[in-house]
Amino acid sequence: MRAPADPRIVRHRLPALTFAVFLLVIAASSAVVFALELGATVGHVAAHYRGGGFARAKTLDGLLLVAVPHLAAMPIVLFAAAHVVGWARAVSRRGYRALLGVSFGGAALSIACPFLIRYVAPTAAWLHLAAFLGLEAALLAWSALLGAVFVPWRSRVRTRTPAPSRLPHAGRVAVAVARRWRTGFRPRQERPQPGSGEHPST
Amino acid sequence: MRFLVRPSVRPRSRAPVRMFMAFAALALAGWVLQRVREGGLVPSEVEACYLGVPGGAPLGAAALWEEVHVGAFVHGFTLFMLGSLLVVSPVRDRVRRALLVTAAAAALCDLFAPFAVIALGGWGGIRVATFVAAALSSATLLVVVAVRFGSEVVGASPG
Repeated sequence: MRAPADPRIVRHRLPALTFAVFLLVIAASSAVVFALELGATVGHVAAHYRGGGFARAKTLDGLLLVAVPHLAAMPIVLFAAAHVVGWARAVSRRGYRALLGVSFGGAALSIACPFLIRYVAPTAAWLHLAAFLGLEAALLAWSALLGAVFVPWRSRVRTRTPAPSRLPHAGRVAVAVARRWRTGFRPRQERPQPGSGEHPST
Repeated sequence: MRFLVRPSVRPRSRAPVRMFMAFAALALAGWVLQRVREGGLVPSEVEACYLGVPGGAPLGAAALWEEVHVGAFVHGFTLFMLGSLLVVSPVRDRVRRALLVTAAAAALCDLFAPFAVIALGGWGGIRVATFVAAALSSATLLVVVAVRFGSEVVGASPG
């Protein structure tokens, strides 16, 4: 039986879906620009940065001109997408972490590889291609997850909730006692209230 | 971000949201000014930008797609932020939906309008129209969020 739609998710449907559409446009335009400017083979990518034929090698200024805006933009986009997907618990914790790793790892390598290709080794073009493909796949995955959670005809699907403990009650009590044992059965300290004189802000 | 939209901390979130709105307004104003100075309101200048001199080659595909790439990031993120703030502002659902859908559709049309200008070999007015629509709809969205956010606590569940 389907669970009723989560009202928090329903309220944020439109901004999330709008963002998903723009994520797709970002991914598509990025792929086209990569293919048109760098080429789709390792040789073309290496030649784009190191020069060859009629092309000049990229200067440090030219590389920085592309890298610096991406250093600011890519984490913001990925953070926003990850934040919404994580909030909606649309994917398991392990899958979420894997996707985060691919996304941010791919972004970092995509920014670093032009420098590696230009100044260290042309073979880093392999890494650049792999990182770019990983990042593109991650962007598509974030868009798909946003769609899966927020598209109206899918919003009645139950989102993930933390799995209940499989231990019987006695087991849960034992675990709780063991945890308290490790912390030395210290009583919980009352938090100082703002304005009481003990609060750091007062 | 959740901090910003949680009703219990709404009073504290007003200041950072106002600051964000101020920067978003400046970005919008800068974008409009830049586009107007480049001839974005004159169809013949739009055509000259994308089609080049008569008999010459139009702007390359890579340059067009780069423009789409940058615009998609700027519009996408700004609309996402404004839309999320609008969700927790006391605005009618219909109005909220209309504002965000119009702004997003106008922005997307504006991003891809240059392809139409090149494909049609003219019709710079298309880009002028999409620019005006995108600027007006984004400005309206921004003003509504600026005026309504935090004006009263709505029945939003803690997000």
